[in-house]
Order: sequence, then structure tokens, then C-alpha cells
Amino acid sequence: MQIYLPIAEMPVNMFIIFGMGGAVGFLSGLFGVGGGFLLTPLLIFSGISPAVAVASTTAQVVASSSSAAITYYRRRMIDMKLAGVLVASGVVGSSIGVGIFSLLRRWGQLDLVIALCYVTFLGLVGGLMLTESIRAMINARKGRPAPLRRPGQHNWAHGLPFKMRFKRSKLYVSVIPIIAIGVGIGILGSLLGIGGGFILVPALIYLLRVPTNIVIGTSLIQMTGTMAVATVLQSTSNHTVDGVLALILMVGGVIGAQFGARVGAHVRGDQLRAMLAILVLGVGIRFFVDLVHTPAELFSLATLAGDTR
Amino acid sequence: MTRLAALLVFWGVAFATAPVRAEQLIVALSAEEVRITSNFTGTSITVFGAIERDAATVSRAEFYDVVVSVKGPAETVVTRRKDRFVGIWLNNASRTFVNIPSFYAVNASRPLSEVTTPQILKRFQIGSDNLVFPVSADDGAERAGPDDDFRKAFIRLKQQDGLYRSEAYGVKFPGTEIFQTAVQIPANVPVGRYVVTVYLFRDGAMLASDQSEIRISKMGFEQFTFDLAHNQGLIYGLICVILAVFTGWLAGVIFRRD
Repeated sequence: MQIYLPIAEMPVNMFIIFGMGGAVGFLSGLFGVGGGFLLTPLLIFSGISPAVAVASTTAQVVASSSSAAITYYRRRMIDMKLAGVLVASGVVGSSIGVGIFSLLRRWGQLDLVIALCYVTFLGLVGGLMLTESIRAMINARKGRPAPLRRPGQHNWAHGLPFKMRFKRSKLYVSVIPIIAIGVGIGILGSLLGIGGGFILVPALIYLLRVPTNIVIGTSLIQMTGTMAVATVLQSTSNHTVDGVLALILMVGGVIGAQFGARVGAHVRGDQLRAMLAILVLGVGIRFFVDLVHTPAELFSLATLAGDTR
Repeated sequence: MTRLAALLVFWGVAFATAPVRAEQLIVALSAEEVRITSNFTGTSITVFGAIERDAATVSRAEFYDVVVSVKGPAETVVTRRKDRFVGIWLNNASRTFVNIPSFYAVNASRPLSEVTTPQILKRFQIGSDNLVFPVSADDGAERAGPDDDFRKAFIRLKQQDGLYRSEAYGVKFPGTEIFQTAVQIPANVPVGRYVVTVYLFRDGAMLASDQSEIRISKMGFEQFTFDLAHNQGLIYGLICVILAVFTGWLAGVIFRRD
């Protein structure tokens, strides 16, 4: 069934978009990620302009992460104070990100920067995750126990000033790395239309030593807050959030996520991480190929905003 | 300025005193308004017309030629070209075309080159090759000629999107003095005022022309959403966020397991 998207100004097949949302939702439920990094490229590859794809996915991420955040909130698996600092700095980051987004769009380099960021971050994170999960799998096969994290272990991030106490996470750390992470994820999130969970979760675990049982709920709060602000900012400055597109994606996404989460409960952690790593790497490689492969059409058109519409 | 005024007066007088044209065009459109609703997947507009001769004009053996053009609202478009830079393809050179039709369709009873002379086609800007392409001031050249690479790319891309189209034998004559043609309007059509111009030729000479208008506009929900997003971005954004949180919450309630 064809449905006309009022902001993208094109008709799309509703069931295909719904299916995309559902499939990405399934994977996000399975792996416990937001899925924005899969959805935005899927939309771009299916012909929706990158500007609309990024901004509409931002709204979709709000839906999927808030849905999951509520569950974690009920189970009291969230450090609200840490989440508060992260959201506050994330808001600053997403304001910067949306600003960069408008600027790049005017220069005609938005697509390039989106592609470059995807290649860099997906490649890096995918590669790291893959090596880590393979190592864990080898260890498991040889019967060696996974190396346990010693609670007293500190790294450079713990030596910085402006320390703050986070009771729920049992942490006493400097706010500088927290703010840096929040701002960074905010910029990336609004620029790429991703929640950034796949960067945020490892950063919180490895850099700040946030306990694993609290990290997902906390990062979900950060994603919900930051992406909600990003959605509003995208709407006010770029006018590229397509509400109809976002709604179809949301409904598909939240339904898919429920099934994904159920399946995910039966799969081993290291195998899940390896699968996610391969997926992340695959998307990164796809963007890389598009960048270096000689395009069939060298020219592109862009209508300038503020026209006789 | 005074010379221009004098010229205009002269023109007016010349037209007023000139004998009534022998042929007249009567044109009717199948629709004067196209409404874009949520199930819009494109449409087609049929242009009907009759050629009316006064009694004094003797019937001649030659056939009439009719050309119908539909021009969409003007827009400003940046055409960019990718170049390879350290192994990566990125947008490099660009050219900005100002005030060019966002949609342009031309249907004729015969190929344009057989209908009339290149001079007349150029003068009336009939056919995508004869449209004037003004270039933004900061791009150097004042307008882009037909051989310009950016212009060619622009037309090619517009054709691929179905927004620039032409049918050499698109105008049919069910009777000797009655014609009809259908202009396809694709789903990705920009909204605004469209100008339909019908030209009547015989022996390569233009006998008459007629202009009418079609409005293509979004309707109801589509219009409301578009306006809200563009004029009240903040409210629109907040609605989207509330919608998202509500969807998320609702899913949590429906699928709650504990």
C-alpha cells in the first residue's frame, strides 16, 4: 500500500517501511542496541534523502529507547544522577550536531560526512567488538573463565579533577569524561541519526567502570533524552523530520524489538556480540564501498530551501 | 524607460488594429486542481482543445500542429559534480540554477524539429533544450548554454525522476480540428502553480497560443503536517517526541511480561 510522506514529498510502500522498522526493531531487541545505525542507512539506500532519513530516525530512536528505558526504570536498573549528567551534556552535543548538520547540508557535504562517520565509527566499533567476542569465545571453548573485572581497578579517567559521587553505580569519578562522552554521543547522534548506544555502552563500561547491570538502563535514558532534544532541534532548524515516516518506523520498531528481546534471551552473550559486530562491520563496509566505488552518476541535484513553495 | 513605454504603446496599437486572427484556440483541462492526499501516486492531466476558424478563413490542405507544454513552479537548484579526492568520491564543483521550472513536460503532435524552426522554439522556450537556464551570479557565467555539462546533467536527472518529460507524438487529433493529450504528473511532483501553454502551428508558423493554470497542492493532513513542520517547527518537533514516547510507552504496556 502506497502512502505519501508529507515531508519527504514522495510516496513509499507502507509495508516495506513497516517491515524495515520491524526487522531493525527485532535486531535492536536481540542485541540491545537502538538500531539507528541500521535504520538510517536502510532508508537512505531505499531512496529517502539522507536529511529526512537521519531526522526521522532520530524520532524513531526516541520511541524504541523510551520503550526499553521504561522497563529498566521499573526494575530500578538506572543511575538517574549519572543519566542526568549524560543527558545534560548530550543536549549540548546534539545542539552542536544539528548546527553542523545544517551547515554541511548547505555546503552539499552532508552525505559525504555521514558516510565517512559511518565508515569510521562502524568500522572501529565493529572491529573491536568482533575481536573481543572472538577472544571470549575461544576462552570459553578452552574452558578458561572470562577475565573478571576487579572493582578497585582504575584508569586515567579516574585521575581527573571535579569528582562527583554516583551512589547507584558505586562510583566516585571526575565529571569531565562523563561530559565528554555525553557531548560526543550527542553530536554523533544528531549528525548520524543514531542513538549511539553501541558507542556509549562500551565507553561507560571500559572508561568509567559503570557496573554492567546499570549501564544499559542509564544509556537508554541518555539516548531518549538526547534524541528527543535532537528531534525538536531537527524540526525547528532543518524541517526534515517526517512524522508519518517516523510513526510507521516506530510502530514496526517497538513490535519487532519485543520479539527480538525474547529470542535474544536464548542466545549466548559472546555469540550475540559477534553477530552484532559482523552486522556493524557490514554496514560500515557498505558505506566504504560507496565512497570509493566510481558512481554511475557523478551529478546530483539539491533544491535550495526557502523556495516558492 | 520612456522608450520601453513607447514600444509598449506601439505594440498595443498594433495589436488592436491588427485584423482578428483567423484561428482561435479553445482549451479545456481535465482538472484545474490536483490534490495530493495520503494515497497520491501520481496522476495525469488531459488537455482537450478545438481549433476554431472564422468563416472567412479558407480551409487549407495542411495539417495543424499542436504543442502543449506544462511548466511547474520555479525553483533554485544546485547541481553538484562528484570528483575523486584521495580515492574518495565527493561533491566538488557545483552550479546553481535560478528560477528554472521544477517540472517541465512538452507534448507535441510531431517532433519539435518538424513542427517549427529552431528560432521560434528558442524564442518561445519550447522544449527542454530551449529553456533559458539562468545561473546564480556567483557562478561566473550568466546562463548555461545547451552544451553545459551541469545543464545536461540537470535535465538528465530531472528526466530520470520523471519531472522533465516529452512526447513527440503525444498530441492526438481525433478530428481535424480537435486535439487531445495527456500529461503524466508523477508522485514526486512539487506543489504550486503549473502553467499549461498550448501552441498552434501550421507550416512552421505559430498561429495562436493559449495559457491556463493548474494548481497542485497538498490537501488535508498532508498540507497541515507540511505547514506545521515548516512554520511551527518547535511545536511539530514536540508533537513528534510526544508521539514517540507514547508509542514506546504503549508498546511497553501491551507487551509487559511481569
